[in-house]
Order: sequence, then C-alpha cells, then structure tokens
Amino acid sequence: MTTEPAAVERRAVERVVVGAFGALTGRRSAPLHFAMMDDTPVGVLGLAAGARGLRRLSYVKDEDGFVERLLAEYGDVPVLRSTGLDNVRRALDRYFSGRRLDFDLAVDLSDLPPFNRHVLEATARIPPGEVATYSDVASRAGSPRAQRAAGNALHDNPVAIVVPCHRVLRADGSLGGYGGGVPIKEWLLAHEGARPAAL
Amino acid sequence: MKPPSPSERAAHHIAFLLAKHGGELARHIRRLVRDDDVAQDILQDTMIRAHGALSRLAAGSNERAWLYRIATNASLNHLRAKAREREALRRHAAERDAAVEPPADGRRERDDARRAALWAEVGRLPQRQRLALTLRIVDELDYEEIARRVGGSAAGARANVYQATKKLRLGVGAL
Repeated sequence: MTTEPAAVERRAVERVVVGAFGALTGRRSAPLHFAMMDDTPVGVLGLAAGARGLRRLSYVKDEDGFVERLLAEYGDVPVLRSTGLDNVRRALDRYFSGRRLDFDLAVDLSDLPPFNRHVLEATARIPPGEVATYSDVASRAGSPRAQRAAGNALHDNPVAIVVPCHRVLRADGSLGGYGGGVPIKEWLLAHEGARPAAL
Repeated sequence: MKPPSPSERAAHHIAFLLAKHGGELARHIRRLVRDDDVAQDILQDTMIRAHGALSRLAAGSNERAWLYRIATNASLNHLRAKAREREALRRHAAERDAAVEPPADGRRERDDARRAALWAEVGRLPQRQRLALTLRIVDELDYEEIARRVGGSAAGARANVYQATKKLRLGVGAL
C-alpha cells in the first residue's frame, strides 16, 4: 500500500469532496474548513476558516448546530471538517492558558459590509488588558455618532475572542451585551486583567 | 423569506452530510479505489444514494456507519466492474496474440490468468465475506474497525476473513 504524506492526502481528499459537492449542487467554490474545540474555559467553540484566514469563531452548542449555521450562512460553499486549523487551536490554547493574550492570525472579514469591517478592525487594535467604549470604536471606524450601529456590528462579530469585541463596554463602564453571554464577557476581561470599572 | 423548495432542502441535506462525513468518506473511498476521479464519482454516488434512502433509515441508527457501508459497497461494485473489464480485455488480448504469434514461454499468461481467477473468486464470495476481506487486505483495517463499518462483531469479521481466504485458497489452488 502506498503511503502518502498527510498534507498531500489532505489536499487530495479535499479535492474529492469539493468535486463531489460541485457535481451534486452545481456550485464550485473554495471550501470552508471547520473544527470544534470542545472543552475551553468558555465552553464549546466552533472554528471555520477559508483560504484567506479565519472566518468564524463562535460559541455553539454542538457540532451539528455549528454545521447547520455555517450552511445557512455560507450556503453555496462546501463545508469540510478539517484536521487542520491547528494554528488557530494553538493560538487559542495559548490565550486560555494566559501564555499569550494577543493573536497573530489571518482573519478574513471580506464578506462583511465596509462599516462592520471598519468597526471590527478598530476593535482588533484594542490591546489585551484594555477596554474601549462603543463610541470609541465608532469614532475609530470613522463614524463618531454611529455608536448604536457600532454596537450592532460588534454583536454580529463573526470571529469572537480573536476580534476582541468583549473589550468594548458602555460609556458608563457597564458591560453591555455579549453574544456568548455576559458572564463569558466578564470571564474574558478578568482573564486579561482588565476588570471593568463598574465592578 | 420563502420556504426552501424540496430540491433546495435536498441540496442542503447533502451539504450537511458532506460537511460532517465527506472528508473521512473520501479518504476511505480513495484507499479502496486508488483513483481520485473515481473516488469523487463514488462519493457523489454515495451521497445521492444516502439522500434517497435517508427516509428509510431508522431513527437513532448510526448515520456515519451507514454512510460507510454505502460508500464501501459502491467502491467494491466499482472494483468488481473494473476486474470484469480487465478480464474481458485480457481475454481479448490473449485471443488476438494467439492469432498473431505463438506464446513465448507462457509465464506471464499464467500469472495474468491466476490474478483474473483470484478476482473472479473474490467476486463469487458472499457479500459479508467479500467486504470483510477487502477491508482487511485492501484497506488494512483491524477487525474492530471492520466490524464498525460493516456491522456485526470483531470476532464475526475475523471469521468472515478466515472463511473468505479459505475459499480463495481452495478456488485458486484448484486451477
């Protein structure tokens, strides 16, 4: 039996699945790879990445739910369980262990509206241990008065933790909302050593 | 938002099955058929069959094992068809060569004939034995894994492989 280097086999397997997907659905596009992280301090996380970087990091209940969500949102691309995404896992492991709180990962926000992208890019520049307000990030995104829209953009952040929307608080220092639930926002901020002023 | 049409729902379901199991099924099929284009066709075929039969799958049954079974059967069907084709070609070539020139020393023909006979014997084995044997020899799986993919116990899988090899030895040895 011929043995193949794992990477060669992975690419061949990917071509087979993407080809079958294309033949079955008539849609030919680059695949989205997903992986699960089951026992993090903040629960189950679903990861998804395309060729240009990380596209999703979500709080999810289980794999089936995450796959359903990916298909609903990116319906026309083949979604593939990945044995890769190791760089993302390692970065998250380092983050949760506290060894390194910032991320050096390619993030692909290209399918978002420009305003949302600008808000998230401004958010990504808030360093660990610091916080900003909704109007701060609205200003940094070029629309100082659009703090409500900035709040919505953060609420729709597809890449939680890595794009640290949890570091954005209300002007009065209260926590505001969070997609994964406010207790997780609190946990992340405490983990980074940035306890909100109101607490 | 309008509700999805049946064909959209079907496409969605196939996409879901491919997302969950496509990678490992593709790996499994590739190892059986050793050809990426064929593997793609068989994976596609597997998904169509699975989709068609999904309503008949009992609630709570193991969807993954079931998909493996469909993929394995489709791969083995392909291998058998290919073996038949090869056999027909070999016969055709042998007839043509015999018409043109006398055989040199006949050794290659004997080897070819034995190989073709072996495949033919494999094709005659009962399905469970054939499956177990192919997964054991071609895919190099252990008995636990064979049992998981074709159903039954590891001991059953071992017995099937044993019976299959015994029959092949008798069948080919008798040539």
